Amino acid sequence: MNIQDKIQEKINDEVLYKNLKGFATAYKASKINAYKGLDFEALRTRVHDIKDRDLNKVMQQFNLFKANVEKHGCKVFQAKTGGDACKYIADVMKKHNAKFMVKSKSMTSEEILLNHYLEKEGLQPIETDLGEWILQLANEHPSHMVMPAIHKTRQQVAKIFSDYTGEAVDPEDIKAMVEIARRFLRESYFKAGVGMTGANVAVASTGTIGLVTNEGNARLSSTVPPVHIVLVGYEKLCDDFNQALDIVRVLPKSATGQTITSYTTWIKGRVPSHKNEDGVKETHYVFLDNGRLAFFEHPKFKEALKCVRCGSCANICPAYEMVGGHVYGDRYIGSIGLILTALYQGDEAAKDILKMCIGCRACSFNCPSGIDLQALISDLKLVVGKKYGINPIKKKVFKSLVAKPDRMKAVLSLGANFQFPLTKTNPLNQEKIIGTIPMLPKEMDFRKFPALASKTFSRRFYKDGYDQFSSERKVFFYPGCAIEYFYPEMGLAMVKLLQKSGFQVDIPKKAACCGIPAIASGDPENAKSMIYNTLDNLQGPKDYEALLVLCPTCGGAIKHEFLDFTKEDPNRYKKAAQLGDMVTPIGKFLEKNNIRFKVKGNKKVTYHTPCHDSRSLDYSAEAFLSKLIGKQFIPLTDSNVCCGFGGTYSLDFATISNGILTKKIENIEASKAEILVTDCPGCVMQINGGLMHKNVPVKVLHLTEFIEKYVELIEK
Amino acid sequence: MNNLEFFLDKSALVGNENQILSSEEFKNLLQKESFEYINVPSFNQLKDIQAGEAGIKNALIEVDYAIAETGTVVIDSINENKRLATCLAEKLFVVMPISKLVASLNDVADFIEERTSDMGGYVAFITGASRTADIERVLTVGVHGPKEMAVYILNDL
Repeated sequence: MNIQDKIQEKINDEVLYKNLKGFATAYKASKINAYKGLDFEALRTRVHDIKDRDLNKVMQQFNLFKANVEKHGCKVFQAKTGGDACKYIADVMKKHNAKFMVKSKSMTSEEILLNHYLEKEGLQPIETDLGEWILQLANEHPSHMVMPAIHKTRQQVAKIFSDYTGEAVDPEDIKAMVEIARRFLRESYFKAGVGMTGANVAVASTGTIGLVTNEGNARLSSTVPPVHIVLVGYEKLCDDFNQALDIVRVLPKSATGQTITSYTTWIKGRVPSHKNEDGVKETHYVFLDNGRLAFFEHPKFKEALKCVRCGSCANICPAYEMVGGHVYGDRYIGSIGLILTALYQGDEAAKDILKMCIGCRACSFNCPSGIDLQALISDLKLVVGKKYGINPIKKKVFKSLVAKPDRMKAVLSLGANFQFPLTKTNPLNQEKIIGTIPMLPKEMDFRKFPALASKTFSRRFYKDGYDQFSSERKVFFYPGCAIEYFYPEMGLAMVKLLQKSGFQVDIPKKAACCGIPAIASGDPENAKSMIYNTLDNLQGPKDYEALLVLCPTCGGAIKHEFLDFTKEDPNRYKKAAQLGDMVTPIGKFLEKNNIRFKVKGNKKVTYHTPCHDSRSLDYSAEAFLSKLIGKQFIPLTDSNVCCGFGGTYSLDFATISNGILTKKIENIEASKAEILVTDCPGCVMQINGGLMHKNVPVKVLHLTEFIEKYVELIEK
Repeated sequence: MNNLEFFLDKSALVGNENQILSSEEFKNLLQKESFEYINVPSFNQLKDIQAGEAGIKNALIEVDYAIAETGTVVIDSINENKRLATCLAEKLFVVMPISKLVASLNDVADFIEERTSDMGGYVAFITGASRTADIERVLTVGVHGPKEMAVYILNDL
């Protein structure tokens, strides 16, 4: 099945939709509760620092761990590959004539496909985590790192249990199903010759592992059988118990929103065990490389080795929420799954799934280890885009149109003049839209598209004489493609407002794209041309108080991506760094300069926070707006969750985009607001398009348009 | 909130029964209740049994520490029968002298270090009954280990 078919299959799965949506909502609330009174930023910085180390340091930790356990007779095996680890574990089982091995949950064992290997050798691993056991019986793999069977309903589980046990199982009674698991798995601990666990942390100072579980199956797996095998990746090593406890503090909170799990167990090998002749347990540690060690030396990808496997990057990912972990990931799932698939299994295995990241950056801001997951995915997208190529039509459009500002302007002006047979006025809000797009695939028809503006922003700016206003106080405005070609009125509203407040507004001599469409599509060469064009057309930082943007995605690009792409060109790099510091969303600028307004009218207003406002520019206009309009403001549920746009993502993965948008619209309708304000033209295009398609009479306005129409400037 | 209030709050959150008693009251309780496994050294109460596949009805165990931050009790479980009892009792009762209550997870770092420095070590943090939410995220207790947990907090010890 190709990726689009897989996506479609999951989109059609109503159970999955319901389960993941329910979880996403519940998770957010319980996570906030679990971290209440704690400084999340400080905690995750701490975990990030604990895990920030090079190969030399991690090998020091390993050697200390090894010495600490070997001196008491434990065995330590360094597995170079997954195959080596599997073989070692099989050999231990064979040596003890153990037919059965009880396992507690271990993503590392999923990584190396341990169960397949053992079964081929005629050995029987038994998963004891309830979710993993369900999947083992169903012959499936986890779709979530901490809730492996989240894609299953109780009825499906009842059927699986009934087939396995031969007993009648009430398809509604979850408690009874859990009892069945208790009964069958209890027996397995006592018949198993070997118990295997993973390790959430491996403490070098003593050679102790820490295990975080809710069910208690890791305690039984490590206690009852005479032999204990620990399978662990080197990245789980830490220096001491203070570090280990700092990790344990965040892991369950970020994983499931629990303050702590029911059990956290600290085990040093060779514990008393009556099933052994000498009364002492035989303990083995299998340290897995499988490609990890090389990445401790990589300047960027070493970040991925900081993961504590909480799964929170999936929990808050709007795309994961639509398709689940069987599509959004591979052996590991969620954002980290996309990355680890590329690092451990190779870019061939990851090239399609990487594209499913919409770039909203929610994962980067939720990661309790402080990994900038989205940035790593973006880097990997560029790597695979370069190696395997991107959609040829896109490549051509980027190369011969978007990266050539003059041609782009000419072609889009032509388009604006000749689009009239296709355009019409939307009766609901009198906006000019494209009526029908010829040959648009059905799945892409979930929103109305705006018509190209008859005159570009720059043209109107000069033609209407806005370049004639001069003042001591100057700001520079970068309109970006959406304002330039689709929504000039958003830009003009801002220019008028600022001039009324005494600011001179300058704009680039020539409009150029910020490069984000090419970056998001994995096209580094064209991204670089676009960035150079933009940078060369922006006036220098001197003389200006701010570089204003109405599109936070463009603003984020100038602030972050421009630096990455100008590293080899010191002059441009310097300019990018200076301009990046000056990037300011309009709301923030108005707040900072204490520009005051009073409200006209009494419309109920809600606000959608654009992803790149909150997560690239560290700003949301929500507080500003709510203060400005007081009681007329209604907060939007999940205001800062992505609207599903993501530029060309909404065409490449239209069904995912549509699904995300549908949830946004449900929240907007539930707010009962008459106007939705946001401050990103991309979000406006997506949300307004969706509302018009569904005939929902909520007006969508950019913050600048809202200010122009519904509030009045209090002149000083 | 002070440490005890914090502990009670978190412990109740995971469904534990919490009871604050004096040592005298606890001794009376010991007379009345019957436990299959007992390990309460502060009162010289020991009753050993090796829990097997069938499990045991209950166990009463004195904790080494309790952590207010998370509502957790800390039990050194290197003794195999103690370990089996905490894993296999249907209901787990723990005895917690108030003097053993500390504020944060990191306050027991030295204790774990000490108890796992030599050969063999098994320190358990226990925060409520064995639980799962693996079927439709419905919280269900008693998937492998204890189905209930009760904490006797001794306010004079």
